[in-house]
Amino acid sequence: MKQITTLFLAFATCAIAISQTSLDSIQRLDEVLLSDVKLTRYASGLKIETLTDSVLQKNKRSFTDLLRYNSNIYFKENGYGMVSSPSFRGTNASQTAVVWNGININSQLNGQTDFNLISTSNYSSISIRSGGGSVQYGSGAIGGTVHLNNVLSFDTHFDNELQLGYGSFNTKNAHYKFSYGNKNWSANFGLAYRDSDNDYKYLGSTRTNENAAFNNLDINLNLGYVLSDKDVLKVYHQNFRSDREFSATILAPSKSKYESEDYRSLLEWAHIGNTLSSSLKAVHLLEQFKYFENKDTNNFSKGQANTWQVKHRLTNTFSKQLELSIITDYSYITADGDSFNDPKRNAFSATAILSHSPTQNLQYNLNVRQDVISDFKSPFVFSGDVSYQLASFYTLKFNASKNFRVPTFNDLYWNPGGNLDLKPEDSCQLDLGHEFKYHTIGLKLNTFYIKTSNLIQWRPNQFSGYWNPMNIANAKQYGLEAELALERQIGKHRFDFNLNYSYTKTEDLAKNQALFYVPIHMANAALAYSHKDFSTYYQHLYNGAVKIIGGSLKGFDVGNLGFGYRFKTKSKLSYQADFSIDNLYNTYYENVALRPMPNRNFNLKLTLNF
Amino acid sequence: MNTKTLVFLLLCLSLFFASCTNDDDGIIAQPSGDYANGLLISHEGNFGQGNASVSYVSYDFQTVENNVFSNVNGTPLGDSAQSIAFDGDLAYIVLNVSNKIEVVNRYSFESVATITSGLNNPRYMAIANGKGYVTNWGDGGDATDDYLAVIDLSNNAITSQVISVEEGPEKIVGDGNRLYVAHQGGFSQNNIVSVIDAMSNSVSATIEVGDVPNSMQLDAAGNLWVLSGGKPAYTNDETAGKISKINTNTNTVTSLDFAMTEHPNLLNIDNGQVYYYLAGSVYKMDATAIALPTSAQLTGLNFYGMLVENEIVYGLDAVDFSSNGSLNVYDLNTNTEVESIELNIIPGEVYLN
Repeated sequence: MKQITTLFLAFATCAIAISQTSLDSIQRLDEVLLSDVKLTRYASGLKIETLTDSVLQKNKRSFTDLLRYNSNIYFKENGYGMVSSPSFRGTNASQTAVVWNGININSQLNGQTDFNLISTSNYSSISIRSGGGSVQYGSGAIGGTVHLNNVLSFDTHFDNELQLGYGSFNTKNAHYKFSYGNKNWSANFGLAYRDSDNDYKYLGSTRTNENAAFNNLDINLNLGYVLSDKDVLKVYHQNFRSDREFSATILAPSKSKYESEDYRSLLEWAHIGNTLSSSLKAVHLLEQFKYFENKDTNNFSKGQANTWQVKHRLTNTFSKQLELSIITDYSYITADGDSFNDPKRNAFSATAILSHSPTQNLQYNLNVRQDVISDFKSPFVFSGDVSYQLASFYTLKFNASKNFRVPTFNDLYWNPGGNLDLKPEDSCQLDLGHEFKYHTIGLKLNTFYIKTSNLIQWRPNQFSGYWNPMNIANAKQYGLEAELALERQIGKHRFDFNLNYSYTKTEDLAKNQALFYVPIHMANAALAYSHKDFSTYYQHLYNGAVKIIGGSLKGFDVGNLGFGYRFKTKSKLSYQADFSIDNLYNTYYENVALRPMPNRNFNLKLTLNF
Repeated sequence: MNTKTLVFLLLCLSLFFASCTNDDDGIIAQPSGDYANGLLISHEGNFGQGNASVSYVSYDFQTVENNVFSNVNGTPLGDSAQSIAFDGDLAYIVLNVSNKIEVVNRYSFESVATITSGLNNPRYMAIANGKGYVTNWGDGGDATDDYLAVIDLSNNAITSQVISVEEGPEKIVGDGNRLYVAHQGGFSQNNIVSVIDAMSNSVSATIEVGDVPNSMQLDAAGNLWVLSGGKPAYTNDETAGKISKINTNTNTVTSLDFAMTEHPNLLNIDNGQVYYYLAGSVYKMDATAIALPTSAQLTGLNFYGMLVENEIVYGLDAVDFSSNGSLNVYDLNTNTEVESIELNIIPGEVYLN
C-alpha cells in the first residue's frame, strides 16, 4: 500500500505541472458506450485484436472455434464441445483471464473459463489483448486476456435479427437479438440456443463419438439510460445455461454429464465530466455446476461460488496529454459445494494508472496495483507500456509487467487436499511489438518472454495418500507472433486475407522439458471474397504437434469453406443464407489425445434482419 | 494488383499445406514374444488418458521392455490398468476406466480375448472354483451398486451371475472354493472383508477389520493377513492403521494397532515375515510377533506398489504421476538398493511371471 501512495503522489505532482485542456471527444464516447475503457485507453503498448460483429457472424460455431481460427490462442478441447481450455502464449488455462464488460469472470472454483461455456452470439465485439494484464484485470491475466464487450448505442435505431441454423450431427442453432436506441435510452437483448447430438463418426473406424450431446442457452439483456449530459446509467445481465454429456475417449467409455449455470449482473453509473470522470460499478456473479458420474442416476456432486463486487474508478484528465485513473474495488466471495466447507474471501485492490502522451507519436502508461486478500498475501504488481510511432507506417510497442494468479477455492479448500499455505503464482514478462500499416496491409510482429514462479500444481502426497496443490513449479515461455491482414477492393470484388502465426517455446524449469499441450507452431489463415451480395471464405488451421505425458500428439491441418448470399428487399428487411463445410478435407485429427474431432460436416444458416 | 497480391496469398496458403507432415517418430521396441522368467509390471497411466501399459523386466534385470501389450498386439492396452490376475497360461489385465479386461497369453502376450460387458469400474480379479471373480465399484458415488462379476474361464465370457457386495470391494484373494474381498470403501471408507462361497456364488460371512483394508495375503498356514490403512485425516474422523490376522477356519481375528496418524499399506508375506510400507519406509515383522516393529528396514522410499519375494523388495515409484516411474529393487539381506530401472507412467502393481 505504501508503494501505491508514493506512486500516486508522484503522479499527481507531475500532473499538476501540465496545463488543463478539454477532454478528448473520442474518449468521452468510450465512457458512454463501453464498460471497459481500460481496454481502449490504457493499452497503447500492447497488441489488441478486436473481432467485430461481422467476424462473429461468420464464425458462429463456438467461442473455441472463433478464437482458434482468428487468433494466436491455442485450445485444448477435450472432445468437440467439451471442456475447452486456452493456452495463451504457452501459459495454462488458469493464466488466461476472460473479461466480461470489464469484469474478470474466471471461475472462483478452478480459476479458469471453459471457452465452450461462452456463446459468441450476443456480443458487439470480442477483443484479444496479448500479454500480462493483472494490474488492470486482476488474477490470471498472465498470458493474455479475452474481452467480451457489449456496446450500448444512443443513436436512434431499432434493429432485429433472427437466425436459424441446422447442421450435421443434428446440430440446431437459434438466435434472436434486437438493439434499440434513442437519445436517452439504449437497449440490447439477445437469446442464443445451441443443441447438438455431436455423435460424429470416427474416421477410419465404425465407432461414433459417444455420450457427447450438449445444449446451451445464453440470454443477455443490456440497458443504458442517459441521466444527464454528464451521467449514464448502464445495466448488463447475462445468464448462460449448459447441459453437456462428457464424451467418451477411444479407450474409455463415459456416461457422465455436467450441468452448469452462470449469472452475471453489472450495474454501472458513469459520470463524464470535463476533467474528472468516474465510474461506479456493482457486480454480482454466480457460477454453479452439477456433475453426474452416471447421467442415468440422480447422484451428483455440486459446487457454486458467489461474487459480490463494488468497483470505483476516478479519472482525472489533466490535459489531452495526461490522465490519471485510480481504481479501487472490493469483493466478497463465497463458495459452497460437496467438496468445501463454506469458504469465504474478502478481497480489496487499489490500482493507479497514469497515461501520458508527451508528443503526438508517443504514448506510455504506467500502472501499479496492490491486492489485499483475506486468505493469503498478494504481490504488488506493476506494468508499463509504451507506443512510439516512428514512421507513418511503423509503430514500435513495448510492455513489461508483473502479474499474478491467486490460489483458487479448489486449491485452498478442496477436501481432501486443499492447501492453505499456498502463495499466488507470480509472473514477469516482456513483450516487444512492431506494427506496420501501409494502405490496407497490416502486419504485427511480437516477441515475448514470460517467466512464472510458484506455479500451483496438484501432486500426489505419499504421506497422506491423496493429492495436494503446491507452489512447486517454475516455467518460462518465449516466442514470436505474427499477424498479417490484407484487404483489397477492386470494383465490386472484395478480398480479405488474415494470417496468424505463433512460435512458442516453453520450459518446465524443474524438469527441463517442454510443457504439455503447447504447440511450438500454430497458424491459421482466412481468405474471404465477396462480390455484390455473394460472399465466400476459406479458413485453415495448422496446429503443430504437442508434447503429452509420456509422448507426443501429432499436429493437424483442418480447413473450412463457406458461402453466403444476401437477398435484399425494398424495405429494411433482408435475408442472408449461409452454407458452410467444416473439416473440408475430412481429416482425422485429435486435439486432445484419444478424442477424435468431427469429420466433414455441413451447416446451413438463415438470417433475417429487419 | 493484383497478380502479385494473389500470388502472395497463394504462397501463404501453400505454406500451410506443405506443413502437413507425418511425424510418426514413436520408437517401437521389438517384441520378444517371451515374457517368462521375469516380472510383469502393470501401469495405471493417467486417468482418462489411455496410457495404461505393461512392462516386462527379466529376473536378471538384463531385459526390459515397456508397452509389451501394444508391442505384441499393435493396439493400445486401454485406460487405467489397475491389476493383473493369472490363470494357467493366461493373464487377465483389468482396465478400470476402460471397463474391460484384456486376456492375453502370459508368456507371449498375444491377445486371447477382450471382456467388455458386465463390468463397471472393475478393480481386481481372483480365481476360485474354476471361475474368475472381479471386484466392481459400480458408480463411485453409489454405495449400493457394488458387485463381483463372474467370468467363465472356459470361454472368457462374463456369466450372468452377479454377486452384490458391500461398498468399495477392492483386493480379492482366492482360496480353493472360497474368496476373500477387502472392502477398502471406494471413494468412501469401509472396514470389512467379505467371504464368498464360490460354489453357491454368495456372501457367506462378513469379517470386520480395520478401516480401509488396502492389502491382504494368505500365509503358508492358511491365515489371511489384512492390512488396513485407517481413515485419513481429511475425513475429520481419523483412525489408526491395523494389521489383522484372520483364521480362515473360524473367521476369528487377532490384530495389532498402529498409532493414530500412521496409515500403512502394501502388505506382503514372505518366508514367515510380514512386510508393509509406511510413510516412505518398509517395515518387517515376524508373523508371530505380538508388537509392531519400531524400526524400518528401508527408508527414504517413494513406493506406489511393492512385492516382496525371497527377501527381495520390488518397489514401484510413480514419481509425480506425469513422469516415467521406476522399479527399485532392494536386497533385504543387506538393505541396499541393487537395481533401479526406469519404466512407464504410474507403475502400480508388480507380479512374478
